[in-house]
Amino acid sequence: MKLHDVDVAVIGAGPAGMAAAIRAREAGAEKVVLMERAEELGGLLHQCVHNGFGLLYFNEDLTGPEYGHRFIEKALDTGVTPLLETMVVRLGEDRQIGAVNTKEGFITFRPKSIVLAMGCRERSRGALNIPGTRPAGVLTAGTAQRYVNVEGFVPGKKVVILGSGDIGMIMARRLTLEGARVEAVVEILPYIGGLIRNEVQCLHDFDIPLFLNHTVTQIHGEERVEAVTVAQVNGNRQPVAGTQRTIACDTLLLSVGLIPENELSIMAGVRLDPVTGGARVDETRQTNIPGVFAGGNVLHVHDLVDNVSWESEMAGESAARFALEGKQKESGKIVVRAGRNIRYVVPQTISGRRDTTLYMRVNEPEETVRIKVGDIMTKGVRAVKPSEMLKIELSAEKLGKLREGTKEITVDCEKRGGK
Amino acid sequence: MAQKKTFICIGCPLGCRVTLTIDGKGAVAGFAGNKCKEGEKYVLEEYTNPVRTLTATVLTEGSSQPLLAVRTSRPIVKTKLAEGMAVLAKVRARPPLKIGDVVVPNLLDTGADIVASGNLSS
Amino acid sequence: MSRVETEVLIIGGGIGGAAIARELSRYTADATLVEKGADVGQGITKYSSTIMCQGANVLEFRSEYHNSRLVWAGMPLMEPLCRELDVPFKRIGSLELVENQAGMRHPEKMMRRFKDWHGKYLPSDIEPLQFIDRDTLRAWEPNVDKKYIGAVYDPNIAVNDPVRLTIALVDNAKKNGINVLLETEVLDIKAGTDGFEVWTNNGSIACRYIINAAGEYVGKIAQMVDADDFAMYPVKSYQAVLDKKVGGLINRMVLATGSGMVSPTIHGNLFFGISPGSQRLGKAHDHSTDKKLADTALRHAQELVPAVSAADIINSFVGFIVFRNFEIGWHECTVGVSRWVPRFINASIGFPGICAAPGVAKEMIDILTRQGLRLAENPRFDPYEKAMPDFSDLSDEEKKELIARDPRYGHVVCRCETVTEGEIVEAIRRGARTLDGVKFRCRPGMGRCQGGFCGPRVTRILARELGISEEEVTKKGGESRNLLYKGKELLEAHQ
Ligand SMILES: Cc1cc2nc3c(=O)[nH]c(=O)nc-3n(C[C@H](O)[C@H](O)[C@H](O)COP(=O)(O)OP(=O)(O)OC[C@H]3O[C@@H](n4cnc5c(N)ncnc54)[C@H](O)[C@@H]3O)c2cc1C
Ligand code: SF4
Repeated sequence: MKLHDVDVAVIGAGPAGMAAAIRAREAGAEKVVLMERAEELGGLLHQCVHNGFGLLYFNEDLTGPEYGHRFIEKALDTGVTPLLETMVVRLGEDRQIGAVNTKEGFITFRPKSIVLAMGCRERSRGALNIPGTRPAGVLTAGTAQRYVNVEGFVPGKKVVILGSGDIGMIMARRLTLEGARVEAVVEILPYIGGLIRNEVQCLHDFDIPLFLNHTVTQIHGEERVEAVTVAQVNGNRQPVAGTQRTIACDTLLLSVGLIPENELSIMAGVRLDPVTGGARVDETRQTNIPGVFAGGNVLHVHDLVDNVSWESEMAGESAARFALEGKQKESGKIVVRAGRNIRYVVPQTISGRRDTTLYMRVNEPEETVRIKVGDIMTKGVRAVKPSEMLKIELSAEKLGKLREGTKEITVDCEKRGGK
Repeated sequence: MAQKKTFICIGCPLGCRVTLTIDGKGAVAGFAGNKCKEGEKYVLEEYTNPVRTLTATVLTEGSSQPLLAVRTSRPIVKTKLAEGMAVLAKVRARPPLKIGDVVVPNLLDTGADIVASGNLSS
Repeated sequence: MSRVETEVLIIGGGIGGAAIARELSRYTADATLVEKGADVGQGITKYSSTIMCQGANVLEFRSEYHNSRLVWAGMPLMEPLCRELDVPFKRIGSLELVENQAGMRHPEKMMRRFKDWHGKYLPSDIEPLQFIDRDTLRAWEPNVDKKYIGAVYDPNIAVNDPVRLTIALVDNAKKNGINVLLETEVLDIKAGTDGFEVWTNNGSIACRYIINAAGEYVGKIAQMVDADDFAMYPVKSYQAVLDKKVGGLINRMVLATGSGMVSPTIHGNLFFGISPGSQRLGKAHDHSTDKKLADTALRHAQELVPAVSAADIINSFVGFIVFRNFEIGWHECTVGVSRWVPRFINASIGFPGICAAPGVAKEMIDILTRQGLRLAENPRFDPYEKAMPDFSDLSDEEKKELIARDPRYGHVVCRCETVTEGEIVEAIRRGARTLDGVKFRCRPGMGRCQGGFCGPRVTRILARELGISEEEVTKKGGESRNLLYKGKELLEAHQ
């Protein structure tokens, strides 16, 4: 394949990469390559056989593969060039890409612009430092999902799940439906880590016990997991003595958070936001490296794929424009700060000149609040939760109210008065 | 005698715990705990006819892909999910199949078909 | 059940047993090595800190300790040995940090002792110790805590990969005629007048000499023939490995008295561990990590290098340093013929046993000869092994060439460590039978996601190459299967 004249190279062909590549083509980029290490486009969507995808984007309740296929077909229709079974292993500060595949060997090329769409990975046991032995049968929920939904294996029949993230709860239901018994879902926080819909439809529907304010304090078993010890935690998330109980099981699934996969970004000199773990971007989704954009879970972890697609379309469009014009005219000047009970805001900088959507998450659940963006807008919200991303749309007109020379704008989540 | 049942509304991130009161004759007598009308609608549906889309996989035959993702063409009553899985355990999907192709018609007389939610090639 | 006859039986495929087997293969010895695990090097050897020291910087060394003498004999052989076997070995140097003026006594003593030992116990070509002041320390190691006023620099300290070294030693021993039996656990031994009858889970073995190199289990083996009393003091020691992305925090091993240590590994990670002084006695063979130990180790590491963070830990484990006499301390070993049973030789190689292993192996030849074993040189002995390709380490040109030759090298299976299918297939060809076996040969699953991504893929390749089904693939042999059921198997069982 000739790669000397690539306009936009998109790294990763999950929902983010596909949306970015399609939009880049639509926005006029001539040659758009979509690089993916797997044999097909679609990324993790293939293993997410459950429904709940596309409620916002398509107004339909689709499964992961269904949602994926709509984009796969569109990518091929719009003339995106897939580069499959190709792993990008190097990314230079000058946008030089180094990749390997079985046919062409080691490939290097320099596209006019790049969209980073590598997604995220799951936190592993090591990162949690769970005490105990190191038997087989401890795996992340996503790895289990791949075994159960794609490879055709069920890891075990008595399962404890640590973490109530969405993948964990979805896997609790999947494993139950496949004939395994989920003994408990254990969550260290006082509230679940995923969507309420999943608590109801994945746990309650199947009478799966949920232990909030609990954690796994010990793993037992030499060769294969034999049991785990679970204990209640106090306000500092430390186990409370005397509350330990041992649950016999053959499998421990971990659903304890996702980490944006930014090793390539770091190689390329992209500056990361320590809170999101993803790049710092402006509203066009450009990173600090000109011509390098990012979208989807590599930028910040989303709970709904619909938002991943929208955000990445923005990155794709900007990348196309950069490729066509050779540079970006205006970049973000105004820093968006996370204020009261706001964990982060993406984008981290804005120009204040065009319609902009702010994506954000809160630190703590709260009810009856208002989200306040500087003094240009407020929006009442019934309830906020760390697990549910918030979106605030700012029109160019509203942003026009900002004083000339504004350097910084803070987003706060405030309690509303009254009842 | 009146009976009470609690539901968690999934209408918004608040997740209200809604208590439904059912009178002696089994009729709905009242709601409590919901912060808006949406909650009543949801709970009523969950009480009278709770339905779910069953999503799962079936084994394949004649394909390098071991499994095919499938779903019900529309939601079915919640109580039939396990029975539905038992049916699916015996099904073998054969290529070629495209998204939407019927794999099992009229699953357990629910009126919903099991359809492919992914493509299957040999 | 089979019956094997062999002249020398080596029990244990750790670094000790492996080094001895390889040394014996220089001769026309009829020797067999048995290992209970599915792979070699998975005992104490796996848990070692991988630090190669000559004892120049360690005050606990004494010429009257057998262990010290073995290290002095072994360490000069280590680098050439690694070169012959094509396994990595890298001098990184160490810095023993000094916090205040009072703490200066320690480095002064070390420097003085180094002068005494240089050319006597320590080879004369070894680099001298050096005291470096605060400014040099800051310039060399900007991430070391600013409170330290200087350090003793030992340029000789090196790191290696003890598991790879063990594997290479065993591969080489095998090539040169030593019989190796894996998943063969010695269950009982009977001493006769002329030799031993040994029972294993795989049949019996008749032999004349036994070398007990069973690591943590030397006591158990010795007990089988009442060969020796090993009063075991299992010292529990905790170590954690950090993500490569913080691998550049320090360039040399740093340590301080009574505190922990932090060091680069040969593979570009960092690791930290508890120093012997603060280690605790554990329950023998209980390798479970506990929170207290983990917290202490982290606190100690942060004292040295404040930027060390729990968030960057990718793996942690507990190992045992087994020694015989708590009074003597951790720098003593038990290498020699049993006091009670002739031709039964203990090789409990102590700490730092990796460094001592080449010395132990040489000494073992003397011991065996003195015990009556006749050894003639093996005319076909070939000391060399060739490491398997390490894709991530190759230049772009070499990568191209390799993929052109074998396209499987163009298929990256482990994204964190950039390991290709070609390497995994090669590791299996060279004897890996389990996920850990593959992991310790070419590193898939050693990275930050700990096999989350590559696990299913490596499982599939192992199953394909070994001609077994994926549920039969184990993590480390025995019952350590990761996948217990086929899809729908549990549903069918219900009906
Ligand atoms: C935390 C820690 C850090 C260390 N750091 C260093 C260091 O930096 N540098 C250094 O030089 N040394 C270090 N050491 C010491 C070093 O690791 C050991 O001295 C060395 O690995 C011991 O090797 P071995 O062959 O005696 O034992 P092992 O590696 O335990 O080998 C014994 C083998 O025998 C097998 N076995 C046991 N029972 C049976 C049976 N019945 N039948 C068949 N097989 C059996 C076991 O499965 C095992 O594979 C460290 C040790 C620890 C615990
Ligand atoms: S009842 Fe209304 S406020 Fe309460 S969770 Fe449902 S939708 Fe939200």
